[in-house]
Amino acid sequence: PGVGGSPRFCSGRVELEGMNRPVIDRIIRVDHAGEYGANRIYAGQMAVLGRSSVGPVIQQMWNQEKEHLKKFNELMVAYRVRPTVLLPLWNVAGFVLGAGSALLGKKGAMACTVAVEESISNHYNTQIRTLMEEDPEKYKELLQVIKKFRDDELEHHDIGLKHDAEEAPVYSVLKKAIQLGCKGAIFLSERI
Amino acid sequence: SVLRFPLSPPQRPLHASVVLRRTSDERQKEPGAASSQFDSGPGPLPEQESRGPHPSYTGQGGQESEDFESEEQLQHRILTAALEFVPEHGWTAEAIAEGAKTLGLSSAAAGMFHSDGSELILHFVSQCNTKLSEMLEQEQKLVQLGEAEKKPMDQFLRDAVEARLRMLIPYIEKWPQALSILLLPHNIPSSLNLLTSMIDDIWHYAGDQSTDFNWYTRRAVLTGVYNTTELVMLQDSSPDFEDTWRFLENRVADVMNMGSTANQVQSTGEALVQGLMGAAVTIKNLAGMNQRR
Repeated sequence: PGVGGSPRFCSGRVELEGMNRPVIDRIIRVDHAGEYGANRIYAGQMAVLGRSSVGPVIQQMWNQEKEHLKKFNELMVAYRVRPTVLLPLWNVAGFVLGAGSALLGKKGAMACTVAVEESISNHYNTQIRTLMEEDPEKYKELLQVIKKFRDDELEHHDIGLKHDAEEAPVYSVLKKAIQLGCKGAIFLSERI
Repeated sequence: SVLRFPLSPPQRPLHASVVLRRTSDERQKEPGAASSQFDSGPGPLPEQESRGPHPSYTGQGGQESEDFESEEQLQHRILTAALEFVPEHGWTAEAIAEGAKTLGLSSAAAGMFHSDGSELILHFVSQCNTKLSEMLEQEQKLVQLGEAEKKPMDQFLRDAVEARLRMLIPYIEKWPQALSILLLPHNIPSSLNLLTSMIDDIWHYAGDQSTDFNWYTRRAVLTGVYNTTELVMLQDSSPDFEDTWRFLENRVADVMNMGSTANQVQSTGEALVQGLMGAAVTIKNLAGMNQRR
């Protein structure tokens, strides 16, 4: 690239013509918010359980979420989508959720992971359906990304189960509450 | 309300533009009487008159019109032509009528638009924004090809805002009028939309890649810079508006400094978080939870 030029600035361009802008806008905005929130949740969990036996497990999942967020940062610039205004809120709420669930113990943290990852996977599946219905060819790149990320999130979900999430205190109540919160967060981030 | 076009009733179902086109074909009367009908309230917007998709312009003889164009394209042509008459007539139906006449259409064409000149102004703003985008796109291409130096951020912003404001110069006398019309409640959604997309364009080409709250902060700040500079320009009587550009330079410098303030706010936030973390760790230690398991 040229002198002092940012390479991504030029190459990150996406052909925006002919895209269903409102739909793509929403998808990228909410996914970006989701990955951002997931990052903060794992950060919160690490803050509490970082030096426990599940520390490495959580760290690994967190690293994958960091990759996801990086990807969505790129997509956001390429598709010229605005981020949700609520990012500062998700920053705090995510961390509090992560730390709070971790304070319930390792199983509490895993339960939180299971709940969140289940919500996110369903959410990604819905988006994949939407995009497939629109035009699988046109949105091929985006579909690939979302599919891969959905698979990653399902993996996290399974890891959570493997680490005795279901034995967490008040598991079903906790799970329902967290998933309700996720639904709300998704609804808001799509719109504002 | 009654249609105020100089038509006989049987012709009413047709698109207004079809009638105008036929009027232009005939080119007989100079409808002096038509001019008096501008002020009788806004005519129905052509979109409301739509009878299905594209009208087929088969004239009375069954021949198809060669230069088929959509309603919207015709309106754009009229409004563009009308801009020439704005310095003299202001953003009014008179200017639109004159513009229509230069295209060989009946001056009654002005009845297609709002009587307060809203569409004309919005059209103008939209055109300016498009021109700005094209300029910035061109500039970016040159930089990519290595034929131009990439400008530092503050200069880029300054030049972009200046270029955009300079497009107002031919109409500067009548621009205050336009601004007040743009602030009318029924125009605010459109004018706000145009403003925000223009500012977003400038940041995009400036290389803004923020995906956090900065996205909003930057756009809000630049909007403020643009608006205040515009107001200064309206009252500027210096040669080639040099006072305005100096004002702009100072405002953009403020924007650059603001960046460091944001960083300071962020580090304060981080310090707070660290304090909270420290408190949490202490509590955990006290509760005996911080042991290696």
